[in-house]
Amino acid sequence: MKLCEFIRPASLSEARAVLSELGPKGMALAGGTALHFMQTKTPVAAVDITRLGLSYIRQEGDFFAIGATTPLSDIQRHRGHGWAMHEIARNISTHQIRNVSTIGGNICRVFPWADLPVVLLAMNARMVIYTGSEKEEEVAADDYFAAQPAKRFHGGNILTAVKVPVLKARQGFGSVKASRNAAAFSLVTVAALLELKDGKIKTARVSAGSAIPFPHRLPSVETALIGREAVSAVFKEAAAKSGADANWCAREGMSEDYTRQLAEVSLADALEKAAAYANGRTE
Amino acid sequence: MKADKNTVSFTLNGELKTFATEPDEKLLTLLRREGYRGTKYGCGQGTCGACTMILDGRAVYACLLYAKQAEGRSVRTIESAGTFEEPVEFQKELIAAGAVQCGYCIPGMVMSATALMETETVFEDEIVREYMDGNLCRCTGYEKIWIALRKVLDRREAADKTGRNSPAKGAK
Repeated sequence: MKLCEFIRPASLSEARAVLSELGPKGMALAGGTALHFMQTKTPVAAVDITRLGLSYIRQEGDFFAIGATTPLSDIQRHRGHGWAMHEIARNISTHQIRNVSTIGGNICRVFPWADLPVVLLAMNARMVIYTGSEKEEEVAADDYFAAQPAKRFHGGNILTAVKVPVLKARQGFGSVKASRNAAAFSLVTVAALLELKDGKIKTARVSAGSAIPFPHRLPSVETALIGREAVSAVFKEAAAKSGADANWCAREGMSEDYTRQLAEVSLADALEKAAAYANGRTE
Repeated sequence: MKADKNTVSFTLNGELKTFATEPDEKLLTLLRREGYRGTKYGCGQGTCGACTMILDGRAVYACLLYAKQAEGRSVRTIESAGTFEEPVEFQKELIAAGAVQCGYCIPGMVMSATALMETETVFEDEIVREYMDGNLCRCTGYEKIWIALRKVLDRREAADKTGRNSPAKGAK
């Protein structure tokens, strides 16, 4: 993407005003790592939002609030009771990219292979959006990722934070990213949030991305889990239902059938991880 | 909003500098144009690590940053590490281990290792791998680079354990 201007607003309201005035000619810039690869017919004006105090991780009640311009490396290093975002952050790209690429940049414009939308869907996260008024808008992950979120920001609105729930006792999270090498984009990326009660699965949120056109939840897998025992056989059986919700695509030399098998194995692994977390695994 | 569109100022290897630039210019392009050619252009797409430099204490790819993003920040390039006459400890070990063939990846490797040594105090293999995972070498197969780095890190850990000040903390 060619830049014709580089603007550094002094406040969030100024950033919104500038973006609103620029319209399609403007682009909010955080880490900026994706901008280099985006193709546009005309040059755009970059509006740098990295110096507006939007880089932080703090607990706010039942949520961890992660500032939109928080780099992935900060998410990777953060630890806390009920926190589970570090594992996926470690598995995205390389050290140098993680130091620059932000959580907001990963989810304002969703690329099909992106891992964080999948994780945030399973986590039932909430996106906080500045729309100019004092009270920021909060959008639940199911709504936010129902379509390409980039559209939400056309009027100059700015994602300011992502709120992920603090996991409670008996809740567990697991994610699996399958890729050719550690730094590569995911071939299949899946995530699961489980809540257990007396060894049985009380609630389940399961999602997938990459090898499908856009990340989404897998309701058939979720239904196959609820009320059942949290054991490997059940996880495998539930994972096998993913075909009802996702048409796994052939890509990068993988056949459709291979992708499906990879997805099912990854789903079963993610469910194992989530159950282990719920049962007290800390790392 | 910054009024001056056509310059960027940042601390480069300890000295405050101002350069002419364009909104679209990459930091890597600027550095190389200004004579800081130790920072290499490899893939130009944030994969190989040859352009690794340190921005406010963190290793980053100069090819994926617009020069303007460095405004007011601290930038350190390989020129801030050793010289031919006076290589830093890791550079000496790289030479001793025969870890350098074409050498193109080495400035990036040294900068990533510098960020590691300045940030961490414990150098478990997993942590070292995490810091070095964004640097590719197509000649050596990494073994000798790893041996050289491990020597430096083991020495630091041993020095910390015996209570002596780690010689290279914050030093060149």
